[in-house]
Amino acid sequence: MKGFLSTLRTNVAAFPANLRRGMHPGVRPEEDTLTDRMRRNFVFHLHPVRVATRTLEPKATLGLGVMTLTLFVALALSGVLLMIYYIPTPGEAYTSTQDIEYAVTFGAFLRALHRWAGHAMVLTAFLHLLRVSLTGAYFRRELNWTIGLGLFLLTLGLAFTGYLLPWDQLAFWAVSVSANMLDYIPWVGGFLKRILLGGREVGQAALIRFYMLHVAFLPGLTLGLVALHVWRVRKDGGLAREPEGPENASTVPAWPHLLLREAILVVVLLTLLCLAATFVSAPLGGAPDIHNPSNPEKTPWYFLWIQEMVSYSAPVGGFIFPGALLLGLFLLPLLDREPEGVGRWFGRPGNRVPVAVSLAPALVFFVLFEWVFMHQGVVSWLASRPPLLRDLLNPATGMLVLAVILFTATGILTGSTRAAAHAAIVVLLVAVIGFTLVAWCRGPMWAFFWPWEEWTLVR
Amino acid sequence: MSDNELERRHRLLRLSFLVAASALLCVLALVVIRVQQAPWRVLQERFLALNPGGTDGGEVLGIRQYYTCAAEVDRCPTCHMGIDRSDLTDESIPLPFRAHGPGLGKHLPDRVGCSACHGGSGRALDPGVAHARPDQQAGDPLMRQPHIQASCARCHVPGAQAGQARLEEGAWLYLGLGCMLCHPLNEGGRGGLDFGPDLKMIGRKDLDYLKASLIEPTENFPGSTMPTFRLALEKEPEATESLLIYLESLVLDRHPACGTRERTRSLVSRPCATCHAGKEGDATGRMKHRCTYLIRKTDELRCANCHAGGIPPTGRGEGYCPLLNQHREACSACHDNLKAVMPAKAGIQEGRGEGKRPQVKDIANHQTPEELEDELH
Repeated sequence: MKGFLSTLRTNVAAFPANLRRGMHPGVRPEEDTLTDRMRRNFVFHLHPVRVATRTLEPKATLGLGVMTLTLFVALALSGVLLMIYYIPTPGEAYTSTQDIEYAVTFGAFLRALHRWAGHAMVLTAFLHLLRVSLTGAYFRRELNWTIGLGLFLLTLGLAFTGYLLPWDQLAFWAVSVSANMLDYIPWVGGFLKRILLGGREVGQAALIRFYMLHVAFLPGLTLGLVALHVWRVRKDGGLAREPEGPENASTVPAWPHLLLREAILVVVLLTLLCLAATFVSAPLGGAPDIHNPSNPEKTPWYFLWIQEMVSYSAPVGGFIFPGALLLGLFLLPLLDREPEGVGRWFGRPGNRVPVAVSLAPALVFFVLFEWVFMHQGVVSWLASRPPLLRDLLNPATGMLVLAVILFTATGILTGSTRAAAHAAIVVLLVAVIGFTLVAWCRGPMWAFFWPWEEWTLVR
Repeated sequence: MSDNELERRHRLLRLSFLVAASALLCVLALVVIRVQQAPWRVLQERFLALNPGGTDGGEVLGIRQYYTCAAEVDRCPTCHMGIDRSDLTDESIPLPFRAHGPGLGKHLPDRVGCSACHGGSGRALDPGVAHARPDQQAGDPLMRQPHIQASCARCHVPGAQAGQARLEEGAWLYLGLGCMLCHPLNEGGRGGLDFGPDLKMIGRKDLDYLKASLIEPTENFPGSTMPTFRLALEKEPEATESLLIYLESLVLDRHPACGTRERTRSLVSRPCATCHAGKEGDATGRMKHRCTYLIRKTDELRCANCHAGGIPPTGRGEGYCPLLNQHREACSACHDNLKAVMPAKAGIQEGRGEGKRPQVKDIANHQTPEELEDELH
């Protein structure tokens, strides 16, 4: 008995050391110092041991990648907890969501957390994409840039598939409207919509498909691609910078100078998220009324710009504009071969002026186009013309053409592909944000109302 | 960067991290506190403190719910702690804790639940959502007398039971005023040109919306061709309210799981005197509205057989149409006099605009329930 107890005591005392040895087999004890352990630590697979001082400046990355990853983890954890109560059948999807919202302890908090984190992740992923493109950080990183684009689309897909799951009036019709926009993709659009919905309309088949996509397929794919994405950042040499830049020489240890900063960012973000989830509950409308859509019926906010453009012209808004945007972003690292100014906002200092200057025509023309198309006369005159004219003459096409013009002009003036691309991105950014805001202001019958105006049926 | 400078930054970072982590912990504590202070928990504490029945705190705290015969969940008793207690009927007991008034009959709360009659969101514990206050989107609106009669139709045929006279009156008005013409309940309404929208779930709309739809249809649907019943209904507010009660009762497939439920067939599949078609006992609505709404359905209707002036019919019938009497009833549902003056062709094209719609001025001219019943059988 005594022997048994002493064996147990010895082994319990050795348990932490054995655990560590299990994690790092083949490590000699003299290598097992704190620093060595940290070097072998998981996070040091993500970051190099020393990082350039410039990496630490907040404006270098704005911390957007870390924020997106944090939100993804928060979403995964809260999502797993929500899965315990959620039942993906048309009869019970709504009532189980009600139970989560009203009866489950911390259910409303978790649901709100999941919802706001989802919205925030779309935003941070978008801003991250924007940051990488405007700092030229995609330079010589075609693979990771493409993975990143894919991750952005996956983020949209995750947010969109999750939007249906509460199965309330808002979710049902917003997803119906968004799915209908797939029809505008030529040739394959109808097929895609049928495959996504499992039929012509949102119903049982659509719900189980969206559920499967939302909890298994898309998160799994995202997780895999995130791992690849982060691994490539490390393999590509950390944060983007000029290969021969003078500031490369100044480095500091990643621990604590980078990691503590990231940890602070994570904690602050989680704090804000929890605050939002506590005080702003996630919306839950009435049970879906499949006979009566609301008026207006809007897509989730990240697709509003497409819906707004579709209201002018279906082929341009639903396919050509978003398609051109995606194609342009995909081609960005293939066109841009200028090492100078990599990792700096808007590239070399000389490029900032033309990019900033392109902001003015973008804003002016956007307001002008919208002002013209606010007039009922213009809209009804176009409505009676051939469809092709409507596709050519509308704000979406106008902004696309403006982007092409400014791309060409900036390219000729500066001789820099990056500056030209940035000018085009600025124009398209104004268009996307502008169309989103305009669509956000739309009221019944898709009529425009200022935010302070009351919605009426007749404008 | 010098070692001193690095060390200073390291200290600053550690401090910031500690501050941020403490903030996170505080917020998480706040989350727990807020859950602890949910309105229903506060109310239950107050009930315990009040102890109206003098039962010495023997109540079970926590979420209390009825699982009803319609497989619905009503959590109302969580706050309405005394609702099923015979000793808490006194008026002096504050409202959320008082027992239900008399007149429940066989409607035992633990069987029928609460929201089956009262509306609202039975699953919700948030007072605003549960009572479906106007700023909330969720749930059926909460009903008050006499509108609560609308809920009888969830299980009973209107008119078959005592205590639902207003619902019955409303049901007959729905027939007599010709609402059925454009909103046939068994067809689901088709919207579009010749029929009004589906009203099978219109009971989910709030009272103001329903009222506006009756009195001034264009308020909710600009360009609506529905005749305005303003004059008729303003003259008879009681009848208006009864019709509203019936409209409130229209919620699709309300309680299919109730064992004792009489199928709500009466008004759904009984032949309609004004728009009869199809086989006996089932108004399929195939004949549709033979009025101005049918201008695009020329091949389905042979009005020109009887009416001079082709399609759309511009003249009166020649007098030999065997269906003339029914035609008259159908027209009189919307048009003011029984002569049913058909608008001229030009008027039909523009008839969707303001001021072109017929005005119904008097309900009294229409058939009484007895007359309708006679015609039905």
